Amino acid sequence: MCWVCEKYGKGGKWYLNPENFARRLYKIRKEGKEAAGADADPQAAGMGAGVVAELVKARISGDREWENEIKREALEQAYQTHFGQVVTLDEYLQILDTAYPLAKMTCGCRRVQRGMPDEENFTCMGIGPGMYKWERWPETYRGGVEFVTPAEAKEWAMMNHKEGRVQTVDVFGTPYIGGLCQCEYPGCVAVRNRIDYDFKFLLKGHFVAKVDREKCTGCKSCLGRCQFKALNLEVYTSKAYIDLDQCFGCGLCVTACPSGAIQLLDRQSMPGLAENW
Amino acid sequence: MIAQINIDYALCRDPLNCRKCLSVCPSVVFVCGPTKVWKGQESDSREYKIFGRYYDKCSGCGDCVKVCPANAVQLNFVPREQLARKFREERAAQLKER
Ligand code: SF4
Ligand code: SF4
Ligand code: SF4
Ligand code: SF4
Ligand code: SF4
Repeated sequence: MCWVCEKYGKGGKWYLNPENFARRLYKIRKEGKEAAGADADPQAAGMGAGVVAELVKARISGDREWENEIKREALEQAYQTHFGQVVTLDEYLQILDTAYPLAKMTCGCRRVQRGMPDEENFTCMGIGPGMYKWERWPETYRGGVEFVTPAEAKEWAMMNHKEGRVQTVDVFGTPYIGGLCQCEYPGCVAVRNRIDYDFKFLLKGHFVAKVDREKCTGCKSCLGRCQFKALNLEVYTSKAYIDLDQCFGCGLCVTACPSGAIQLLDRQSMPGLAENW
Repeated sequence: MIAQINIDYALCRDPLNCRKCLSVCPSVVFVCGPTKVWKGQESDSREYKIFGRYYDKCSGCGDCVKVCPANAVQLNFVPREQLARKFREERAAQLKER
């Protein structure tokens, strides 16, 4: 169990606890400055990106202490408000039975970082009571939203997994889960910041993938599935290699293997990885 | 060397609709985000602004400069150590103010 489970899991995984999907409807905010157009920082666009400008500076300066301080302060804030965690497809499908309503929406990260046009960019899922007020903040839901049934959402989730997107749960006011994301490197700002800057806005999942070298035929079907730079082919043995330290436990490689050679193991069952979130 | 990417915003008028530099960049350096958020309406595409956010990742291939129809992208390179010194000085000043 990760620290979020300990705090909000009620003995189980926090993102399978129905309480974390419920929230009283938002208060109607007084007509504030937003009505007249509030200023936004264009450089902070995308999931958890407010800190990037400073982080890049600290990186270039070579001052590790500075970099660590930026991360520490930003994460302290993020874990109380807005962060994400990788989940498996099975868990994702379970969540779709709990959360309601479900609405497909466009992906902010890929719009601002990849220039994906709205029509091709419905790769995010907004969930829960927050979605009822989407019309009030159309910019957050740019391109509109499409409410779907749980069955439609599941079919769509499986399609996303098949195409190779990592699935994550996203918190909007800890521990309230308001979004389910389908992400990839480098289009997703959260994945990119984790991989390139080790900014732990996105937490690793509760599983890790391990290759059974006896079963692996070296067919390479799993190559290209990993969005976290954890998987490659050991050319000299012609076997898949997974860096367990780097694995986020998304399970994308598992479903791509025709030989059943990759298994998802509980992170907690591996003492060396149990605290590696 | 580290890239210094300057966009001339007088020339880059509608970045969300254009975004050619962003799409062509092999290092995914750019971000195009809104400068205004409204209640009840989407931001106008011209209220977006483009930045070379991950300039530390820029390879220097020059494609963004070539692809820009408005000639708005300016690319310069400075030695890493020169920039590092500048940022370390900024940090020292920050710490002093505490
Ligand atoms: S789907 Fe992933 S890439 Fe898109 S907004 Fe959500 S976190 Fe970002
Ligand atoms: S190795 Fe497999 S399970 Fe681990 S992060 Fe990569 S694709 Fe996901
Ligand atoms: S898909 Fe399975 S059998 Fe093929 S290389 Fe990967 S782990 Fe080995
Ligand atoms: S020079 Fe090349 S790598 Fe650098 S920002 Fe421009 S397109 Fe991207
Ligand atoms: S290519 Fe030029 S005009 Fe187009 S968005 Fe980029 S900087 Fe602006």
